[in-house]
Amino acid sequence: MTADRHQGCAQPSRAEPKRSFRDLLVAEIPNLRAFGASLSGSMHLADDLVQDTLLKAWGHSSSFTEGSNIRAWLFTILRNTYYSLYRKRGREVQDTDGIYSNRVAVPADQDSAVDLADLRKALAKLPEEQREVLIMVGATGLSYEEAAVVCGVAIGTVKSRVNRGRARLAELLGIHPADDPGDIGTIIRTSRQDRPVARGP
Amino acid sequence: MNMNGQHDLSGTDAAGDEKPKTGRQIMPTLDQKVQDAIGRSLKAHYDDLVNAPVPDRLLALLAELEAKEGERDS
Repeated sequence: MTADRHQGCAQPSRAEPKRSFRDLLVAEIPNLRAFGASLSGSMHLADDLVQDTLLKAWGHSSSFTEGSNIRAWLFTILRNTYYSLYRKRGREVQDTDGIYSNRVAVPADQDSAVDLADLRKALAKLPEEQREVLIMVGATGLSYEEAAVVCGVAIGTVKSRVNRGRARLAELLGIHPADDPGDIGTIIRTSRQDRPVARGP
Repeated sequence: MNMNGQHDLSGTDAAGDEKPKTGRQIMPTLDQKVQDAIGRSLKAHYDDLVNAPVPDRLLALLAELEAKEGERDS
């Protein structure tokens, strides 16, 4: 790893604007890869996508407003790059390279109700417009407003896509609180089991 | 940061400028537990990818860009 040896990172310094810009970019690489992989369905493609994104970001650094959300700015570049250049490639290789083929598909924590592999299969079935906003709003920390700017649509559109995407995921994953309490409804279950049973005379 | 279903997802303002193409007019609001489960799963999916080791070539690329610019500026 060519780890940085800069004293502080992510703090914009006026004396060395470019250096800190590099730090900002380095700090966002993991998120760019995760977002790129979520879009393209391939970690391999995501790395090419991130490389293009970093090159463009560097060349257009003047269009980044200091103090604004660099993640949203970079996501916009990455997303545009993906839709203009990568989308077809992504579809072609999606299942062979496998986004996740060399990542172990286990739930990241025991609270996670759904197996990662199942979730990823379901995510791949969603329309792109729903998948991208679900990821942005649900996992990357972007607000609805920021996601709307990244996609170039109205905020209400983002909300409706998130809602529909979420409902579709629930459907694909078979999550229904009413008829499948064992999956996510541990609270319901324990409250019943723990009820003291009146015994004996 | 507000995530994991902290947003207002109460279907009421979900109409936006995009009309559902299917026959359903109103999006049913998902049960909160279902929303949370999906939120946690999305987060687990994403965090798993975020935690994957970053290839050296991406870091090297930025170092190279910076070095080139340093040469040009001096």
